[in-house]
Amino acid sequence: MGYLSVISQAVQNGDHNKVVQTVEESLRDGMPAIDVLEKGLVPGIQALGERFKGGEVFLPEVLISARAMNRGVEVLNPHLTGEETQKQGTVVLGTVEGDLHDIGKNLVKMMLECNRFHVVDMGIDVPPTSFADAAREHKADIVAVSSLLTVTMVNIPGVIDALEKSGLRGKVPVMVGGAPLTREFADSIGAEGFAEDCASAVDEAKRLMTH
Amino acid sequence: MSISDGERFLGICRFERPGDLCLLTSFFNGFWSKTLEEWVQQGAPKQILDSSFCNAYFQFVDIHAMRELKTGSYNDRIDIGGGVTYEHSVHLVVPPYESRIIGEDERTITLINKDGKKARVFKDDPERMPMFLDHPVKDRASWEEHKKRLDPNTPERYPSDWNAYVQEINSKSEPTMLLAGSLFGHLREWVGLENLLYMFYDDPSLIEDMMDQICYLETESLKRALKDIRVSCAMFWEDMAYKTGPLISPDMFRKFMMPRYRKITDVLHSNGIDVIFVDSDGDVNKLIPLWLECGVNGHCPLECAAGNDAVALRKKYGKDIILGGNIDKRELLKGKDAIREEVMSKLPFLLETGGYFPAVDHLVPPDVTFENYCYFINTMREVAGMEKLSFQ
Repeated sequence: MGYLSVISQAVQNGDHNKVVQTVEESLRDGMPAIDVLEKGLVPGIQALGERFKGGEVFLPEVLISARAMNRGVEVLNPHLTGEETQKQGTVVLGTVEGDLHDIGKNLVKMMLECNRFHVVDMGIDVPPTSFADAAREHKADIVAVSSLLTVTMVNIPGVIDALEKSGLRGKVPVMVGGAPLTREFADSIGAEGFAEDCASAVDEAKRLMTH
Repeated sequence: MSISDGERFLGICRFERPGDLCLLTSFFNGFWSKTLEEWVQQGAPKQILDSSFCNAYFQFVDIHAMRELKTGSYNDRIDIGGGVTYEHSVHLVVPPYESRIIGEDERTITLINKDGKKARVFKDDPERMPMFLDHPVKDRASWEEHKKRLDPNTPERYPSDWNAYVQEINSKSEPTMLLAGSLFGHLREWVGLENLLYMFYDDPSLIEDMMDQICYLETESLKRALKDIRVSCAMFWEDMAYKTGPLISPDMFRKFMMPRYRKITDVLHSNGIDVIFVDSDGDVNKLIPLWLECGVNGHCPLECAAGNDAVALRKKYGKDIILGGNIDKRELLKGKDAIREEVMSKLPFLLETGGYFPAVDHLVPPDVTFENYCYFINTMREVAGMEKLSFQ
């Protein structure tokens, strides 16, 4: 099995030691770092994402696989050029005002970063204007909002209003997700995107990048 | 001939009372405190802030969860100043940790609670789920310390006057519920969810040790209770699923949890307890057959937003499963037509087939109006052929 297949499988198995060892070997053997990243690590996490969406693996497997990938990326980073480290896009991500839940948001962040998005993590209990300010400051491509309660999901339209007031509406799409949320709710408030889980969030973010 | 509420409860669980609408308290029908406060503003009598009045007002049937026996979570409270109290669950630990406030900003207070967790709580709404910043169990060394609070023989785990307690419980006509603890939920509270999920791979033997200690605590303390106390049913609490599925795989559940579940349910079964519930939020569909396999035959709250469907479960499992909850709280936010449609789509079938305790699929949140909730109650009573309540 070649380096790339071994790396991809090791990511899917969450074997961070194997990932680091094989990434180092591949670099020593002269493989370009960008190839290791794009043809080894990223396919591994993408395959894991598909298996998660298919109900084959669960959250512990997602976490250890993301960790394995990140360890591999740490080895690669000094070998990647500035252009090669360019991200797919920038996502401003946070849990809506009044809500202190973060596990869902953290998983989305992890999967987006593994799929080469730059994530600006605003944390929890984020006021609407903070989303808008961060979107402007970081030149965000997407704003992603999480909510776990029916009593806090009602604060999400405020984020869209804040983007409107700051002149970003129509330029920066909004993606939403969380336990009480549905695509119907997302449509009703004018959000451009909706994700059921952390793996789907990556697909949705990619779709919105071409929006 | 009239029967007691306890007998009625068991009759419904055993599918002997089709059509009987029984709205239970405790793990079934409940409200956020803020909900009842809002309802008083909307015209509800102020007395509904008192739980006994509230239960009688809506004609709930009280089921007594024996939290006085610290065999599961029990409640404790911390004064956070300004006349505000933060009430929270303490997960099995006896004695509880010493609580203290360690920080404050305009909107929140950071404290160590009696469960040993560092929590950030909203000052103006301490009932809202806090953010947990740190947990008492991080590794084997901290586990060994924490374990000292999980001894089934600690006297403070039980009421000091055991005989008086036994007499009090055994004289009740309402159903009684023994809390059987939790194999995942307590670990999550002690370790933190993310750390726990990593730990299944990084230190599985520590997971096994923690679950073994819980299993030991439960089997010993339940045996003690069951020797003297009349028990209608048992309840596990897990909260081990989320919107799209379980937090761990069925294979992990089978490997880590099922052997320990069986030890506890064996104790319950050998003492005549054949109604054993589990309370888990989220999508539990993949786990229900595994719970059934280890003797856990009742399930609540069956959250609708997570894809749980009591009608489908009844059709799939027949009388092997007792069901509770599954009334979509999101429909109660809408108007009467939506509420009626929700009730009519489920209740006639579920009451007719039996083994079902209706409830909103979690605590009723404050954005549900008093008017809507009263309409919901009366629509259910209509289905059951009962007189409507006037809610004066």
